[in-house]
Amino acid sequence: MAARLRRDHPDDQRSEELKTPDTRWPGGARCAVALAFDLDGPTGSAMLDGSIWRNPELFGIGGYGPFRALPRILDLLDEHRIPATFFTPAWVLEQWPERGRAILERGHEVAHHGYRHECYFDLTVAEQLEVLAHSQRVFHDVLGETAIGFRTPSGDWHPETTRLLVEHGFSYSSSMRDDDLPYRHLIGGRSSDLIEIPGHWDFDDYAYLAYQQRPAYPSGQDRIAGYDTTLANWRAEFDGVRAEGLCLTTLLHPKVSGKPGRILLLDELLRYLREPGDVWFGTCREVAEWWRATHPLISPEPEPAPLGTASLGSA
Amino acid sequence: MTRWPGGARCAVLVSVDFDVELPILAADPANAAREKTLSVGRYGARRGTDRLLGALADAGVRATWFVPGEAARLHPGAVGEVHAAGHELANHGHRHEDFDLLTVAEQADAVRRGSAALASLTGRVPTGFRTPLGSWKPGFAGRLAGLGITWSSSGFGDDLPYLHPDADLVEIPVHHELHDHPYFFFNLQPPFPAGQSRIAPYRQVLGNWLREFTAYHRFGLCYVLRLQPEVIGTPGRIGLLRELLAHIGGHDDVWVGTGGEIADWWRARGVPNAPGHPADLFARLTAPPPAGSG
Repeated sequence: MAARLRRDHPDDQRSEELKTPDTRWPGGARCAVALAFDLDGPTGSAMLDGSIWRNPELFGIGGYGPFRALPRILDLLDEHRIPATFFTPAWVLEQWPERGRAILERGHEVAHHGYRHECYFDLTVAEQLEVLAHSQRVFHDVLGETAIGFRTPSGDWHPETTRLLVEHGFSYSSSMRDDDLPYRHLIGGRSSDLIEIPGHWDFDDYAYLAYQQRPAYPSGQDRIAGYDTTLANWRAEFDGVRAEGLCLTTLLHPKVSGKPGRILLLDELLRYLREPGDVWFGTCREVAEWWRATHPLISPEPEPAPLGTASLGSA
Repeated sequence: MTRWPGGARCAVLVSVDFDVELPILAADPANAAREKTLSVGRYGARRGTDRLLGALADAGVRATWFVPGEAARLHPGAVGEVHAAGHELANHGHRHEDFDLLTVAEQADAVRRGSAALASLTGRVPTGFRTPLGSWKPGFAGRLAGLGITWSSSGFGDDLPYLHPDADLVEIPVHHELHDHPYFFFNLQPPFPAGQSRIAPYRQVLGNWLREFTAYHRFGLCYVLRLQPEVIGTPGRIGLLRELLAHIGGHDDVWVGTGGEIADWWRARGVPNAPGHPADLFARLTAPPPAGSG
């Protein structure tokens, strides 16, 4: 029995309430899975502050992702015929360009995840624009195409980030945690064409399996979780998503989930997702396109808010 | 040349860090007066080592023990038993130093003193090294050759051995998920883990280790188990190791080698690191700019 959700996004008040789960996804699929990986490599705060250049261990733990884990994950996705989105800092594409191109050649999507995994919350508007522009140049040079998808690296994004994304050709984000279905972002108080595909920490492998000594992660050096109990949690989340006809995306990291034993775990997970036969698998890009097409903005098109007034709240 | 000797499908190194009370002393000199905390580490010499030696003997496994020089001096009986049982002894610094706090000369000196202490016990200078804690300073890899070290098991970034880009040194990388300490070690005050999280459920940890072994076997990799006598050597935990080793021993296509044997094999294979290897990339990105540039 699929639950009807109470939802506050304006687009849903107009159109989602008319949809039953039977008509929500392509081909009458019962739910959607937008499998997604964050191919961070060694980028992140230790690269941003330069400390990684004194920490070859940390660089190795990160570099393992694009170097060893990614090819294994691509093989696994082939086996299960499941498309995926790889949110990839552009720095990783510069260092492992063949790996980046292999993602596209195998039928997946590469999307934006900062240049060196910057935290957008900490950047000025000008700095955010520089990260976006530089990364898009790298995407163009390495992959022959720019990104249209965005997943905010690290913590929060900046109040102006969604506006910048729309102005610079991005059509979706997968950054928030506030829903189990996609929605249109509100920008300047108005519904926009920027689709959000929210994820959840429960499906982030960092919350279970990532471990490093210096800098300490987890900060309290909590134990690495049991693989079986981790898989059981993921299965339970999927079961719920399927029962309610929702959209599941994941925050898996090749350097974490692409270790040998965890590849076996992913193998079991993907088999479990495939088993029911009524799940629609799309890249985040495909899910966003589907949502945009099936949840149109109600005309007339809202005028874009004048520059500089598109801030949050009523300050 | 096949990847592993005799056409074996994968390699297994059972490695032991004979840390005992030294990391506690190295973390803070004031801990020298904390008898209860020190006893958590000393348990490894007093009880854990015998149990661990028994499990290894029953499984017919020759392991590599990384022993700080000072640990050999403090516990000559236990370390002597390890040596007498035919296991390989390797360098683990002298006082389990935190390498982040040392200059490259001090790092090399810790290795030199550690090797001297082991040689006085066994008559042999060890060829293998594992960093006690922290990172190598630039140039350290090059110093190891002059100290008789030909291989290391300290780094990350791969699940096969690899060659150091700037020294004649084979690296056998390690993995936190295959190390007993992050799962099981506990002390109240000073706290470990820092957030005082619960001791991991034993069966789950064995499950992780078994699943990793299945995958290393399938993919043909080098499985490096990392144990500490004060951690794995309790009456209730030693059974996990016995089960794991029995499972590994049930395969006839697994090569269980010491660190020295695996490193020698890898060097003789003569296969360069695959393109894009993190170790090569790190060396390139941290290389000093050529003279005259900029």
